[in-house]
Amino acid sequence: MKPKDEQKEDNVLFVGIDLGTSRSAISSSNGMREWIESYAGWPKDFIAEQVVGKPVLFGAEALQHRLSLDICRPLERGIIKEGIESSERAVKEIIRYLIDLASPEAAQKIHAVVGVPADSLKVNKLAIRRAVAEYVHTLMVVSEPFAVAYGMNLLNDALIIDLGAGTIDFCIMHGTIPSEEDQRTIFTAGDYIDEQLFNYLIEKYPNSKFNKNMVRQFKEKFSFVREINEQIRVELPVNGKPVMHDIKDEVRRACESILPSLVETTIEMIARFDPEFQMKIKNNIVLAGGGSLVRGIDGYLQDALKEYGTCKVTCVSEPLFAGADGALKLAQDMPSRYWETL
Amino acid sequence: MISIFAGKKELKIRQDILRGVYEENLFILGRGRPALSRQRSLLLKGILLSAVLSFFAVLMPDQHTGSSFAPPETTANMSTPPVLLPPTSVSAALTPELDKYPLLPAASVTSEDTANASEFSAIMNSRNVSLMRMLGLKIKTIMIDAGHGGSSSGTIGKTGTKEKDITLDIAKRLKAHLVKSGLHHVLMTREDDSSVPLLERVTLVREAKADLFISIHLNYLPKKNTNIIETYYFGPSDDKKTLKLAEQENAGSEYGLSDFREVVEMLGKTMKLQESKEFAESIQANLFLNSRKHNEDIQNHGVKRAPFVVLLGVDVPSVLVEVSCLSNRDEERELNSESHRENIARYLATGIFDYLNKGARTYEAKR
Repeated sequence: MKPKDEQKEDNVLFVGIDLGTSRSAISSSNGMREWIESYAGWPKDFIAEQVVGKPVLFGAEALQHRLSLDICRPLERGIIKEGIESSERAVKEIIRYLIDLASPEAAQKIHAVVGVPADSLKVNKLAIRRAVAEYVHTLMVVSEPFAVAYGMNLLNDALIIDLGAGTIDFCIMHGTIPSEEDQRTIFTAGDYIDEQLFNYLIEKYPNSKFNKNMVRQFKEKFSFVREINEQIRVELPVNGKPVMHDIKDEVRRACESILPSLVETTIEMIARFDPEFQMKIKNNIVLAGGGSLVRGIDGYLQDALKEYGTCKVTCVSEPLFAGADGALKLAQDMPSRYWETL
Repeated sequence: MISIFAGKKELKIRQDILRGVYEENLFILGRGRPALSRQRSLLLKGILLSAVLSFFAVLMPDQHTGSSFAPPETTANMSTPPVLLPPTSVSAALTPELDKYPLLPAASVTSEDTANASEFSAIMNSRNVSLMRMLGLKIKTIMIDAGHGGSSSGTIGKTGTKEKDITLDIAKRLKAHLVKSGLHHVLMTREDDSSVPLLERVTLVREAKADLFISIHLNYLPKKNTNIIETYYFGPSDDKKTLKLAEQENAGSEYGLSDFREVVEMLGKTMKLQESKEFAESIQANLFLNSRKHNEDIQNHGVKRAPFVVLLGVDVPSVLVEVSCLSNRDEERELNSESHRENIARYLATGIFDYLNKGARTYEAKR
């Protein structure tokens, strides 16, 4: 498709945003691609502001200074935590920051497509619209796995599974915009693994000191399912002394805790379509999102589905940007007359 | 991975998808699906309009008969001028299952008319066709009713939370959400802790020429650990629990029993039933599905019919929603938090927007 014939506005910056529970990413038509941890933090007091030197901090920097900040991770299960004013404020700040990272020119119009969890009900999409609207000229909200599918030209006979921190989103593509029935969201996702791992480690090493942020880092560094030929040992303080701990079994148990619902939902989604279509979908299952980096997860899902016939599960090459890139592609392909009327 | 794009067919798929994204965003904004779907909808409207015109041709000669089944005059507003109809005719056209009504003397019906009427009846019985939308009738004014108030506290929770206070707060928040959309004129039957008799509420709705009515209440159940959501639209019911609830909510009404029965029979067969049912389904689905995200124990008691007085005299689509249970201790505590009440208001607003946009919600058919 060549959208240029319809998009004659020269001074427009198109941006695709993946607003995630854990990480948010932006891709823009000027070639910028950035991501941040979805955190915003405000200095607790005057002294803290002097120390951190900024009125608001984001992502890794906010985490680093978290003791001096009122820190907020505004998205919960992929949506803005409801009824909490600081959450909406934090989302706005994160969006503003992401758009700044895309370096728009002063007089440039910004057309944005924002990816949100597949199952977000309208009220959540409206909340996200409200948060973004202040910083862009026009915007559209789409489901995250749909954005991934569009970006990868997987618009027909495909199942996209976006394994995020707050949610796992399923989206079946069959040549049309997916309806509510083609999409499903489950909540046993990355954050659930963190919780499980945290509990397993407390159980196994009751005298060791660690926090949820450390546990999340362990997961991101070592996550796997089934078996790997390596040891996983981390340093944790016990009574103030650094001690090496073997956490391999706990990491595996935690990562595998999401597999039953993942497999079950995948089967449910596929089984709803006629047998001929099922065959095609099973051979075109794509995993996206940070969860696709869990070692062995694609092979596990493929094997679990084997009893239903041959299937092929692959992972996107750039999980961090697949959603934002797809959203950008949507924004660029969208005829200008659609933008004008929104 | 398979890339499917190779040629015109693929280009068409992509164009359709982009249009779908655009229309879905319009839908999120509560603006329906305009220009791009217009061709398709105009075709549909053309077909349906011809059926309706034929139907009115059948009805016209008998307008003066003044059937006792004539439905009440609707307050919905005509937004499209393709055909100007007298209000009584519009009201008649909004009545479902009209073919069952003894409106027409058999002699006055020609075979052609019968065919048209039959075609019309088929359209009317289709689940996907709403005459209100087909005729372009718009919802301009929405009336929100905060249950109880003043000397009528409604139910009272274990720690003293009063239904009248919670319903008023939720109603105000709902109003704010609806006003924010800028699409509707939004009114309330009460905006403070004042006593408003049920009949006066009905009068307020009529005088304001409201096009949609929602009454907000809280439930109180004998089983204290239960929490349910249920939505009612007006109609007769055989369920004892429902009748008991209606008795409680109707306390203070000045309707006589004979008036009540007569009006129940009359209204049970009107357009109001069809639209109110759809409205109730939308409210219930949105409220329950969203609420369950915070509270897995909450139960869906669905959409029901019940003879609530506050719904009886209202001529437009109307529902009474029991948004929560004050008898449940945990829920009472939750209801005292601002965020919970705000959430309920947001879900109600979503239910209203979904109902208003339902006619435009045409997803592509599955394989």
